[in-house]
Amino acid sequence: MAMKTRADFAEESAQQAVDELLTRWSGTSLSAEVCNHSSGFKRPFVRIECPRNHWRAVAKHLRFELGVDHCSMITGIHWPEGADDRKWEVVVHLMRMNVTNPPERGGWTEQVIHDAEILQDDDVPMEFEVRIGIPDTTRPSVQSVQEVWVGADWNEKETWDLVGIDFEGHEKMRRVLQPHDTPPGYHPLQKQHKIRYHDFEEMYDDAQGFGRKPVDLGKIK
Amino acid sequence: MAEMWISMGPQHPMTHGLWTLKVKVDGETVVDTEPDLGYIHRGVEKICEARDFTKITTYCDRLCYASANTWSHSYIYSAEDLLEVEVPERAEFIRVIAVELQRIASHLMWLGAYCPDVGNLTGMVWCLREREMMMDLLQELGGSRMHYNFPRVGGVKRDLPIGFSMRCRAKLSLFLERIQEYEALLDESTIFLVRTQGVGYAKPEEMVNHGVTGPNVRAGGVNYDVRWAHPYSVYDQLDWEVAVERPSIKGADNYDRYRVRVEEMRQSALMTLDALNKIPGGAETHYAEGDEKILSKAPVRAPEGATGFHHFEDSRGESMFYLVGGGDGRGKNPYRCSIRSPMFITLPYASKCMIGYKVADIPSIMGSFDPCIGETDR
Repeated sequence: MAMKTRADFAEESAQQAVDELLTRWSGTSLSAEVCNHSSGFKRPFVRIECPRNHWRAVAKHLRFELGVDHCSMITGIHWPEGADDRKWEVVVHLMRMNVTNPPERGGWTEQVIHDAEILQDDDVPMEFEVRIGIPDTTRPSVQSVQEVWVGADWNEKETWDLVGIDFEGHEKMRRVLQPHDTPPGYHPLQKQHKIRYHDFEEMYDDAQGFGRKPVDLGKIK
Repeated sequence: MAEMWISMGPQHPMTHGLWTLKVKVDGETVVDTEPDLGYIHRGVEKICEARDFTKITTYCDRLCYASANTWSHSYIYSAEDLLEVEVPERAEFIRVIAVELQRIASHLMWLGAYCPDVGNLTGMVWCLREREMMMDLLQELGGSRMHYNFPRVGGVKRDLPIGFSMRCRAKLSLFLERIQEYEALLDESTIFLVRTQGVGYAKPEEMVNHGVTGPNVRAGGVNYDVRWAHPYSVYDQLDWEVAVERPSIKGADNYDRYRVRVEEMRQSALMTLDALNKIPGGAETHYAEGDEKILSKAPVRAPEGATGFHHFEDSRGESMFYLVGGGDGRGKNPYRCSIRSPMFITLPYASKCMIGYKVADIPSIMGSFDPCIGETDR
């Protein structure tokens, strides 16, 4: 019979992680809280607002003391009309998966089979969302966590490539999804780059393009 | 001997898509590798910023042509998290059926592509034959052969067709027998074993640190699965076990990755059969499109500042959408739609995994990680 992690244990575990983070980073502007998903499954997760200059230290704390072993996704958002201290934002999704190498006995390995129903405290798989705000600047950057999770490497490359947020200390930064000869400073997910569809529903209202407005002429399709 | 860089791709049977693997070789031995992606980057994330939440599903289908349903469902769960929608239970069961059939089809496509990689052409023909059954079932559900656009925010497009459960049961029980034929074909094929066993070792802890998830980690002997770890849908009510392999002390090799996917197909088939038995209202009932039993009402707009994300067990690992509300059209579009593709993170790892092996092992190692470039490049 299939199993699942217990919601009450997950709630407790998330609260413990939040308490630990708040104690450790009490002198800084870091804030952490237990949030719940708002779809039908109200699972808890930990949301952290991290100050920009502490991000690598917080990452190391998460990785080596709280056991967050998996960097799921790093992404960037450009908010040209956002608050002054949040014109750019880096959002990091982490997971505590508690994956260990299978133990070895007499030259054989033994599978690691977790029983989800009894997982408690640190053993509960947990989602972490870290948000890092960046004030208004033409050269947004945050600290790289490439050395903490190797999986962050390509995520950071992609974020720089598409959104244009740089990662200090990232080695071998390069274009990954766009051509290598893309002009420097061109990052398509920044909001000043519009695609034509933004202004009207071309697919439905004007599939043939007969009603194209003169203002659209110069725009990239 | 002098080292040199050679380019494998963008057109190469090893790539299973369109990308380049630059390999530094010393004689026949691989010394260093560097993947080069982006050949089919379509800018889906940017396009999604100009689409409302219902229209994005079609783009998600096209992220991976071999596994359309899992991707559109992955998006839909995130959208439901953003729009705060609850889904009727019957719709969740139908989604499980759609996703698990798709998982079987995707793994069959993988096995079908992997067999010729390692010199067994029969396997491809057999796998594509069974994949056809899954495609027929999915076509009955979604109305189209590959890109179904099946889930809706708040439910599913339509209910199980009349007679679907009968045909599904028949095809899946036939398929469960056919899996044994694959095992007989491949597990006793010397060519297959020689090229998969003892090649491409990977340890679970290392994989997780590199961001690799899904069947590749389970092949390493750990039963981590998003479906129980971050439970969603009705997987906890169904009868299934996580497919886990028992690797050697060096880690999971290509053979373990093949074994775990075959076992996962079996579990998905059993899960689908169980879902047909347990679906509330019965599998032979057919509700009209838009009935509240299969589709709940969902808001169209998401407020500024709202976010939604959902970790989803895709057939290649953990996929995720991160959606930010408050985009164009007073919140009708997402402000930002970010996609986590499991293969985008796995490809660099798989490329590093082949260092130290021979050039002839590259197709075997690469293929065993199940690359899909559509989702990688987005």
